[in-house]
Amino acid sequence: MALLEVENLHIAVSVGGVLQPVVRGISFTVDDNETLGIVGESGCGKSMTSLAIMGLLEGTPVRITDGSIRYDGTELLQLSSKQRRAIMGNRMAMIFQEPMTSLNPVYRIGDQIIESLRQHKSISKKAARARAIELLDLVRIPNPSERVDSFPHQMSGGQRQRVMIAMALSCDPKLLIADEPTTALDVTVQKEVLELMSDLQERTGTAIIIISHDLGVIAETCDKVSVMYRGKIVEAGTTENLFERLAHPYTRGLLNSIPVVDHDVEWLEAIPGRVPTLGEELSGCAFHPRCPIATGLCIAKTPGDTYIAGNHAVKCHYADQVAS
Amino acid sequence: MSVLKLMPSALAGRKLATIGFLWLVLVLLAAVFAGVIAPFDPLELDPVNRLAEPGWPHLFGTDHFGRDTFSRALYGARMTVIIGVGSVVVALLSGGLIGMLSAYFTKLGHFLMRGVDVLMAFPALLMALVLITLLERSVANTIIVIGIVYATTTARILYGMTLKLKNEVFVDAAVCSGASHRSILFRHILPNLISPLLVQASFIFAFAQLQAAALDFLGLGLPPEVPSWGNMLSEERIYLTRAPWLLLYPGLLIILSVFSMNLVGDALRDNIDPRFKDDISGV
Repeated sequence: MALLEVENLHIAVSVGGVLQPVVRGISFTVDDNETLGIVGESGCGKSMTSLAIMGLLEGTPVRITDGSIRYDGTELLQLSSKQRRAIMGNRMAMIFQEPMTSLNPVYRIGDQIIESLRQHKSISKKAARARAIELLDLVRIPNPSERVDSFPHQMSGGQRQRVMIAMALSCDPKLLIADEPTTALDVTVQKEVLELMSDLQERTGTAIIIISHDLGVIAETCDKVSVMYRGKIVEAGTTENLFERLAHPYTRGLLNSIPVVDHDVEWLEAIPGRVPTLGEELSGCAFHPRCPIATGLCIAKTPGDTYIAGNHAVKCHYADQVAS
Repeated sequence: MSVLKLMPSALAGRKLATIGFLWLVLVLLAAVFAGVIAPFDPLELDPVNRLAEPGWPHLFGTDHFGRDTFSRALYGARMTVIIGVGSVVVALLSGGLIGMLSAYFTKLGHFLMRGVDVLMAFPALLMALVLITLLERSVANTIIVIGIVYATTTARILYGMTLKLKNEVFVDAAVCSGASHRSILFRHILPNLISPLLVQASFIFAFAQLQAAALDFLGLGLPPEVPSWGNMLSEERIYLTRAPWLLLYPGLLIILSVFSMNLVGDALRDNIDPRFKDDISGV
C-alpha cells in the first residue's frame, strides 16, 4: 500500500449550474521517500488535483465528482472536516506558488511557524520557538535566531519560500505537496530551493509531489513523472524511462518548446493550437486538434494505456512509433 | 500595532490634526477629572442667580435653573466620552462580527447582509428614533441605538475586506496547516483588519457625537437630568435671545470635538492607507 493513492479522480467546476469536468479520471500513487512530478500546461487540472488532496476545494464552485484519495489507507474524501484538519499540516503539508502572499503580513515569521506547530502538538511556547529557529536553520535562513522575529516584508522571495517550507515541515509531515514551488523565483534561487527540498527528503523520508509546468525542474528532482493534458494523465513513468523514450506527442512538444542554451535556434518550436476551453467537447484523443501525427483513428477512438518498458504508460494510439 | 504607536507618525506635519488631537486629549482630561475641576455641582439649583452672564464665579454663566454651565459642560464631556466609546464598541463588535462571519460563511452571509441592507435603507436618525421609542431613554440605550446605526456601515466595510482576505494564499496556507475556522477568522484574518477598524472607530466616535446631540435635542436621547452637551442645547434653546451663551458653549464644544475627531481620523487613515493621501487634510 502506497502512502498516497489517488484513484480515478474526477473533478468538475460548476459554471452557471452546469458541471464542467476539469479532471477526468486520474490515478497515481506516491510512496515514502519518493518524489512525483505532475507536469502540464495551465488549465490541465494539475493544481485542482493538489487542492483536492489538501481539501482546499471546500467553499469553492469546484466539486470532486468521483474517485478516491487515500492517505495511508484512510479515505480522505469521507472524513469530517475536523478529522481532516488533524491530518492537514500534521501529516500532509503544502507549499504554494506565491511566496510573496503565502505568509500573513501582520505576523512575525517565527510566530507563524509556532502557530502551525502548536496547532497539532502540545508543546510550550518556548520549545516551539526553539523548534522554529531550528527549522529556519534547516532551510538555511542565515542568522535564524534573529530572523525568527522578522516580518514577511523584510525578507526576499526566496527566503519567504524557504520559510514556507520550514512551516510546512514543522510537524514532520509524511507528504509534502509543492504547487509550482519555484515558478515565482529566479533561476539561481530556484535551484537552491529544489536542492533544499531533495536534501530534506533524504533526511526525513518525506514523500513529495511537485506540480510544475517546467519539465527541467521535474527531470532534475522527481523519481516519477505524470504528464497531464486536459484532465487526464497522458504519459506516466519513472523519470528515467520517460525522458529516455518520450512516447506521447504532447510530452515531446513540451520538451521541444524549451530553449536549449548551446544551440543556435532561429525559431523555438511551440505546440500549435491552444489549450481547449473548459466546455469544449473533443472526441477521441483530446490532443488530436494540436497533434502533428493525428489521424482519423485519433478523432474516432479514445486511446487507452499503451505500456512501453515496464510501467511507462502512454495514452496514444501511436505511442510505439513516437517512442522510436 | 497600537493607536498610540501610530499617532506620532500620523500627526507629523499635520498642524490641524495635531491641534485636534490635543483638543481631544483636553476633552478626555475634562471627562476624567470633571469631579475635581468643576467648581459647582452640575445639578445644584440656584434660582437667585438664574441666567447669569459669563463671569466670576460662573465662567460660562448659569442656565434657567441657575445651574453652573461650566460645570455642566465638564460633566457633558464625560457623557461625550462614554457615548463615543460605548457606541464605537457596540458598532465594531456587532458590525465587525456580522461582516466577518458573513464574508467567511457565504451562505450565512446572504442572510445576514440582506438584514444589514434593510437597516441601511432607513435614514440613520429615523432608525435611531424608532429604536429609542421602543426602548426607554437611558445612557445605555442611547449607546445601543447609536451603535446599531453605525454597525451597519462597519459590517459592510469588514464584509468586503474579509471577502478579499479570505482568498489570500496565506489563508489557504493556514487551512493547509490544519487551522480551525475560528483560528482562521480571528488569528489570521482579524489582525489584518486592525488598521481599517481603527479608522472606522475614529469616524464612528465623531458621528456618534452628532447623533447623540441630535437625539438629545429632540428629547429622545439621554434622560433630561443628565448633563450632556446635547441636553444643554435642547433645554436652553428657548433662551436664545436672552442668554445666547447658553447655546454658544455646548454648540461650540460639539463642533470642536466632532471636527477634531474627523481630523484625527483623516490623519490616521491617510497614514495607514497611502492611496488616500491628499493635500487638504495635511495642511
